[in-house]
Amino acid sequence: MRNYWLRKILALPLILLVASFLIFWAVRLLPGDPARLMAGMQADQKAVNAARTRLGLDKPFALQYEIFLRDALHGNLGISIRSHKPVAQEIAERFPYTLALATVSYSLAVGVGITAGILAAIYSGRKLDHLVMVAAISGASIANFWLALMAMNLFAVKLAWVPLLGANSWKSYILPAITLALLPGAVIARMCRGSMLEIIHQDYIRTARAKGLTTTRVYVRHALRNALIPIVTIVGMNFASLLGGAVITETVFNWPGLGRLMVDAVRYRDYATIQGITLLTVTLVIAVNFAVDVFIGMIDPRIRFD
Amino acid sequence: MALASAILVSGVVGCGPPPPPESRITIMQLEAPLTMDPADHTASLTMDVLDPMYECLVRFDQNLDVVPSLATKWSVDASGTKWTIELRKGVRFHDGTAFDAQAVVDSFNRLLDPDRGLAAASRVRAIVKLVTANGPNTVVFTLASSYASFPRVLAVTPIVSSRAEKQGKLARQAVGTGPYRFVEWKTGEYVLEERNEQYWGPLPAVKQLKWIWTSEPVLMNMSVLAGAADIVNPLPPIFAEALSRNRKVKTIAGEEARVFWVALNTKSKPLDDIRVRQALNYATDREALVRTQLRGFGTPANSPLAPADFAYDPQTRGYPYDPERARALLAKAGYGNGFAIKIAVQEADAQLVEALQGMWAQIHVDLKIDRMENGVFSQAIFGSPQQKAQQGIDCVFASWASDNTDPDYQLNPLYRSTEWSPGGANLGFYANPHLDVLLESAAAELNVEKRKALYREAQQTISDDAPHVLLYYARDIAAQHLGSVPIPVRLLPGGRVEFDASSPQMPVYGPTKVGQGP
Repeated sequence: MRNYWLRKILALPLILLVASFLIFWAVRLLPGDPARLMAGMQADQKAVNAARTRLGLDKPFALQYEIFLRDALHGNLGISIRSHKPVAQEIAERFPYTLALATVSYSLAVGVGITAGILAAIYSGRKLDHLVMVAAISGASIANFWLALMAMNLFAVKLAWVPLLGANSWKSYILPAITLALLPGAVIARMCRGSMLEIIHQDYIRTARAKGLTTTRVYVRHALRNALIPIVTIVGMNFASLLGGAVITETVFNWPGLGRLMVDAVRYRDYATIQGITLLTVTLVIAVNFAVDVFIGMIDPRIRFD
Repeated sequence: MALASAILVSGVVGCGPPPPPESRITIMQLEAPLTMDPADHTASLTMDVLDPMYECLVRFDQNLDVVPSLATKWSVDASGTKWTIELRKGVRFHDGTAFDAQAVVDSFNRLLDPDRGLAAASRVRAIVKLVTANGPNTVVFTLASSYASFPRVLAVTPIVSSRAEKQGKLARQAVGTGPYRFVEWKTGEYVLEERNEQYWGPLPAVKQLKWIWTSEPVLMNMSVLAGAADIVNPLPPIFAEALSRNRKVKTIAGEEARVFWVALNTKSKPLDDIRVRQALNYATDREALVRTQLRGFGTPANSPLAPADFAYDPQTRGYPYDPERARALLAKAGYGNGFAIKIAVQEADAQLVEALQGMWAQIHVDLKIDRMENGVFSQAIFGSPQQKAQQGIDCVFASWASDNTDPDYQLNPLYRSTEWSPGGANLGFYANPHLDVLLESAAAELNVEKRKALYREAQQTISDDAPHVLLYYARDIAAQHLGSVPIPVRLLPGGRVEFDASSPQMPVYGPTKVGQGP
């Protein structure tokens, strides 16, 4: 067991090294010339060439990677060609917005999804179950950018209940958080229902009931705990990827997080920023997966990672 | 750039009560600023953000004529190469340093420095040979050759603080002499500017300007409706048409300064045949394009110069919609059964090109559309003849607006034989030695009427050679929320927004009937 965690921790630098190379290489495969985009459409060739030199793109690939790696080890992810600021600083400024939105929306998705899933399982085959499942299917299939625009038009423009732009108050979180929570909430509700239905027919649940435990205690203490294992895995993975920025939601709501930063960075071939955000996402995915493993071990002590 | 000194003069005449002293207006654009250094970009929406903080030696007035700004007067010698500029006294940059002849010399020298490679330097580098201070308040510009539009170049070249330049601050922090000073650039969110209380001219009425941006036109539309933004710019015609019927919002259209065209690759078959190029022109129903794509915010194009340009000739013979004539020309050229060509277009403009596809299909031309993402497109259109041949790109959809409404900056980069891409913006590799001579002579000619005559001939020459399919002149459109601070707004050529409280009679255009001018 201890070896497992040790191996996992020791593998981290290696994974990051391989990931950094792949990211660095893949970014340069993108068609489009960052020097031209930086100089602008009306700039002449001299200005474009000068921009290329300033970006260091005239150097051989291996040398560019070496410089990137050396700087990254010193915490320097390069300078953004869009903002002329250090990428690390840019990410540090934007990440709190993404983290806050991801946390609020995932809390919403997990809270509502699990509750709805349990209720659907308890009332399986009855009206409430059907209602939850229709809502879940709708939530999973609806295009969230469309829903976002409709909600913005109604609640921000027509009714003026919530602000249309910015991330300045708790009200600013309402629409983006709901939009972002919709798909994971629907998935969690469906998974929770399926998992619960499977578990509540197990012998140990019958035993728990026979012992005279209350229904709530049976469901929450005995059934849910076991039903949570696949849900925690899915939630963990999705949450980690969301920490790299919710691209569509952040763009539609003008949310100043990493997702919008990434869209701008790709649009302008801001290599340093793309690399920085992707590297952060990789790190977060590894870290969250690690946390998920720990958490699953806590939920079900029988699980062993050897 | 011109707005820097024109901006928001207090004591608004004829446009409602002046804004309260602590007021702020929020302007939403379709693109984030690229930099705070006015010399290191060529993006009009970045210039919008920088304009209130920087000033040039001269500026454009309401009629787009050049008037004094940081310069009080100027003169040129008989050869047309030596320009002497007298500077305004008592002006200070926002960092407290004095504006003087040395600051002007420094601002231009950094553009002339080939090692700096500043993005906006090419125009100045092509014209100016030497800049020298002649005392603290006089600057002498020595040009490589006579250049009649030199004041128009000065009107789009901001003067920056030498100290800030030496400190390497300008990319992140604007330091000019304008009526607003830089407060903060929060990269993902906004640029904040505040009234420069030490401004040498009349103080602006509005205390703060906040610039925000989105890449979603639909969000701009909602923002101006909800009042989340006081001004949105630029607004796609489809939203402008709907908003022009809304009482909460005023749509503002600029002059017709932007020309849209399809550059034809004159080096690739069958477009190397002038008859084929002319046939494509005759097969294009420009009025339908203006009606459907611009929703009336523009007019069909007859000349490569836009109507906002002083040298624009409305008499230039263009190509009326005549599919019969187009078919006859194609038959003469040996392409009676048609042919297939590929066009490179940005995703956002694909709908327009689809309309062209339908029109050209009538003469059996199969237009294949290669939709490209912005970064891919910018690389593809600036390909060399060999690169374009390899990629099979026969034509590209493009537009250009000369920010200083000068014919040289519209025609020279787009049609001169020395400006083939990737070095210049002659995207179809067009070459006509007679035109080169005309453009060179016109650029040097100091007599306005003679200059206009030369450009008249140049416009007709280009039109006859048909290196492109000219489409239309579009008006840039902005919208203003009427519940906001009541200031008049207008759009400058290039789509830059100007809030000029000094003039009560801003032109406010709605959709026009096809074929009509403003």
